[in-house]
Amino acid sequence: MGKIIAFHSYKGGTGKTLLSINLAATYAKHGKSVCLFDLDFRAPSLHVAFASDGVECWLNEYLNGTCDIRKVLIDLSRQHGNGGKFYVGLANPTTEAIRDMSAKDRKWEMRALGRLLSLKNSLLNDMHLDYLIFDTSPGLQYSSINAIVSADVVLVVTSMDSSDIKGTQRMTQELYDLFEKKTGILLNKVPAEMLTSNAQKKSLYEKLNSIHTLPILEVIPCFCDILRAGGTHIFAEEKPDHPFTVTLEKIATKIEKF
Amino acid sequence: MAYKRMEKSPTQILEKIKESLDRLNEKMDVFIEIQKHNPRTDLDQSIPDVLDVMTLLSLPDHLRKTAVALCKLGQATADEVAEQTKRARAVESGYLNQLMLMGYVKKERKGRKAYFYVEKEEKE
Repeated sequence: MGKIIAFHSYKGGTGKTLLSINLAATYAKHGKSVCLFDLDFRAPSLHVAFASDGVECWLNEYLNGTCDIRKVLIDLSRQHGNGGKFYVGLANPTTEAIRDMSAKDRKWEMRALGRLLSLKNSLLNDMHLDYLIFDTSPGLQYSSINAIVSADVVLVVTSMDSSDIKGTQRMTQELYDLFEKKTGILLNKVPAEMLTSNAQKKSLYEKLNSIHTLPILEVIPCFCDILRAGGTHIFAEEKPDHPFTVTLEKIATKIEKF
Repeated sequence: MAYKRMEKSPTQILEKIKESLDRLNEKMDVFIEIQKHNPRTDLDQSIPDVLDVMTLLSLPDHLRKTAVALCKLGQATADEVAEQTKRARAVESGYLNQLMLMGYVKKERKGRKAYFYVEKEEKE
């Protein structure tokens, strides 16, 4: 059966969206059927990368219980698939929708959890998708924790920032450990000069292992050309030889065996 | 004799009062214990008992595992929950009943089987 992967982080701007798009593209390149969901209802972003005029239903409506999940799925298999399916589910980016989502009560959040949990049946079992990838909001919020509880694998994206490290440590103890999920850390945006020699890499991994109790899945260097591209290109799809794409391949393989 | 009985009376009365106070103390202790173990009393009574993720985070580990399994199943018997959590049926039955007493889970009997669920509407 397929897997649900949730990208999460303590702080914003760690690279969750970039990594989730590129991981989805990596699996799609392998011929897998993938679905990518924008569960960041406070700051939706996937609608920009996958500009689509024909949104029949937003994920907001699915979680509201007013729309079937199949109407949320936007089929982009032709543009991004490689023999498999490629779907995206988008969060409504209008201010009104963001305001509406931030005013939901506990009962609504409880029902939303039930609806996210049922995706395992509707998308992985019935539609035979290989991977369902959630891009979530940073920090401790309902939508993110709902996504974490529904996922099989949680990928925590962190940076070298000390407040991010502290926050991730706290969330490991108070959130990730409590739900007994397969959870791994992706250290993103590491300055390239810290990774020039094998000795440097080794000492960085040792340092990370002393800081985090969760396994370090991969260390991802900071790439200026990715920053320069400003999120307009899917590197894993368009630049197969780029070191970022190679790193994504490693992450994809590690998750398969996780 | 009558004088003696009257003389003893205040002591007897005091002893009776002491006995009553002891019994009352015992009852108070039990009440305090029950309150300690029932999170409903820790919350504002105006907030309904909802098994959302924040509640899941606040539950002790053993109950959280049961509650998450039930959330996944929607509606389930203790047997089905035990299958998910890989724990004994009797253990899960105890935990599910505990969650029910806390107000997070509801129970319905169908024939000889008892089904637990978080919310009925989920099945719609």
